[in-house]
Amino acid sequence: MDLNFTPDEQAFRDEIRAWVAANLPQDISHKVHHALRLNKDDLQRWAKILGKKGWHGYGWPKEFGGPGWTAIQKHLFEEECALAGAPRIVPFGPVMVAPVIMAFGSPDQQRRFLPGIMSGEVWWSQGYSEPGSGSDLASLKTKAEHRGDYYVVNGQKTWTTLGQYGDWIFCLVRTSSDGKPQTGISFLLIDMKSPGITVRPIITMDGEHEVNEVWFDNVEVPADQLIGEENKGWTYAKYLLAHERTNIADVNRAKRELERLKRIAKAEGVYDETRFRDEIAKLEIDIVALEMMVLRVLSAEKSGKQSLDVAGLLKIRGSEIQQRYAELMMLAAGPAAVPFIHEAMEAGWQGDQAAGASFVAPLAGTYFNMRKTTIYGGSNEVQRNIVAQTVLG
Amino acid sequence: MDFDFSDDQEMLRDSVRKWVDKAYGFEQRRAIVKAGGFSAQAWSGLADLGLTGLQVPEAQGGMGFGPVDAMVVMEELGRGIVLEPYAAVALVATHLLKAGHAASAEPWLQGIASGKERVVLAHQERSARYRLAHVETTATNVDGIWQLNGTKTLVPAGAHAGAFIVPARVNDTGPVDDPLGIALFLLVNGDKGNKGAKVDGHATQDGACAATLTLTDAEAVELIPAGAAFDALEEAIDIGIAALCAEAVGAMDKLLAVTVEYMNTRKQFGVPIATFQALRHRIADVKMQLELARSMSYYASLKLGEPAAARRRAIAQAKFQLGQSMRFVGQQCIQLHGGIGVTDEYAAGHYFKRLTVMEMTYGDSLHQLGEVSARMQDTAGVFA
Repeated sequence: MDLNFTPDEQAFRDEIRAWVAANLPQDISHKVHHALRLNKDDLQRWAKILGKKGWHGYGWPKEFGGPGWTAIQKHLFEEECALAGAPRIVPFGPVMVAPVIMAFGSPDQQRRFLPGIMSGEVWWSQGYSEPGSGSDLASLKTKAEHRGDYYVVNGQKTWTTLGQYGDWIFCLVRTSSDGKPQTGISFLLIDMKSPGITVRPIITMDGEHEVNEVWFDNVEVPADQLIGEENKGWTYAKYLLAHERTNIADVNRAKRELERLKRIAKAEGVYDETRFRDEIAKLEIDIVALEMMVLRVLSAEKSGKQSLDVAGLLKIRGSEIQQRYAELMMLAAGPAAVPFIHEAMEAGWQGDQAAGASFVAPLAGTYFNMRKTTIYGGSNEVQRNIVAQTVLG
Repeated sequence: MDFDFSDDQEMLRDSVRKWVDKAYGFEQRRAIVKAGGFSAQAWSGLADLGLTGLQVPEAQGGMGFGPVDAMVVMEELGRGIVLEPYAAVALVATHLLKAGHAASAEPWLQGIASGKERVVLAHQERSARYRLAHVETTATNVDGIWQLNGTKTLVPAGAHAGAFIVPARVNDTGPVDDPLGIALFLLVNGDKGNKGAKVDGHATQDGACAATLTLTDAEAVELIPAGAAFDALEEAIDIGIAALCAEAVGAMDKLLAVTVEYMNTRKQFGVPIATFQALRHRIADVKMQLELARSMSYYASLKLGEPAAARRRAIAQAKFQLGQSMRFVGQQCIQLHGGIGVTDEYAAGHYFKRLTVMEMTYGDSLHQLGEVSARMQDTAGVFA
């Protein structure tokens, strides 16, 4: 047993750190460090910078143009990006659909779609949830009828994160109603500029436009945009979920945000109040414990000796911690977090000092926004079902 | 970074587990509790495996092993909620003997390794709670001989110890909580001829035993002088905490397994209670607390070699997590059993009681939280 990274891993970290410091635009990291609103240009500028280096698909194997990093190298890359204040890579393209295309797509599909994902040029969205299909995703109803060379898609997807920027969307659609719900689902790649697609904003309680409804009205999708076989989409979607491992805990971002919490608590004069300080201390312990759990998973992957089936635990704990730091930041500001100032989410806003320093204005909004984390990606209650299955059978 | 155990460590684990299975079944343990909470035969069993000398240097007949080996042993002893003061003797006291005056310590180290002797730290005082520097016991040098006066409580298996390591204040005019006024002394048990050292044994809530040590002009030799003593004491306690974390992980692991088996067997409303979602979610939460605890137990043992400040912070973080986990896992596993969980005849309650006592050993959760709070840095995380 050894807690420390090897000299090689340490050297890798140094290399990443230096590169990120030299290439991450400061206006972007400023927004990230202050939880300000990131626009499409911010996100895509960073994606393209990574793409040029071949790191937008940082989890990809070499044969598809990725760096071929180990699980530990990927973790170190994520950590260095997070600590430096890089935006999270929008996962739908490089992290979610790309591995499915690699594993189940045809060579033509791989040539057609992967380069645009790696370069950051093409923005992908995810079309899974529907108004009637949340935790019970397999009950989805959006229908795709096979007519000769194309599918005709009708239905509605929802909670489509950043779908307003989407060039393409990968969707789970119903191609059969025979047998179990899971066996009639297919995986389709759809151009969002296709006639018949309408994207409508959903404004969340923080006043932000992050998620959308996507409507499909007789949308024609060429049949060569089906991944793998018809009615096997559920298997591909499950593969995608299995692909998402330690990053789900987002512990690196939590470390960065804990440091920000301490700065806010100092500025607001509660850092030295025992009761508040103890709450920070508890969160700090929670984050160390989560990080240790992540490191255990990485070590197990590295050695291949013992498998560690704790993805559900990482999701539950990681999301609870995200909510907790957002909550404590807001509570640190106290009454100064109460004014609702929509413009305060924009970089450069100087604001009304009487209502509080400019950095406290976005805190309540972040707190409201973070309520999503225990709901999305398989709600924490669904995760508990999964964990219980591994323990109780 | 590597969290795998070596082949040797897996073999060590295997041999301890076999011994626990053979010598420490629930009924065997119950008999030891009834006989006073200590078994000389069990201690011989541990010594025969070489475990009492685990961290005694090879020159004194031990194995000279490290903290991860100790963690492996403690996890397995925890599974059997072994009552004998293994960590107190073979890890905590052994550390202080190794750090202390060599000529005085050496015979005791040899005795520990052979299994013939037990030495324990007697640091607790009635009004000290968890403050290690709060020492009212005094040491006075009379014509070149140290004499100790004071009362130490909760000395682990004190009636079965050959000698004690006792923190005492060498300058009795100094403040009662001055860490630099404390020296560590080695003294022989009153039952073995040290007239000034009276030992009164009693049972503890977890079925083990402890003793009150009353010192009246008790003769002692100086093991570690004032100045260096407190740092050594703090490190010894941290070694004890790391051991306790590992023991708790083993105990919780076993308690969860017992609970899972029960839930899959016990039927109500015509089906196993393991089918009810309210209970399934509870088990998921128990599993969470167990894995967080295991992660922090690793963290504690792996941080033992760090400089004092980093070590202290990490150990306090670990003990806080373990405290939370022990209480949650213990309480919930009793609840999940229903009525049978609160009976003396069933194993779950005995695990719960041991977990409860462990939370109150070497600083409870609130105490550790205060330590973490007081030692907070701007940076955060495992490598902060």
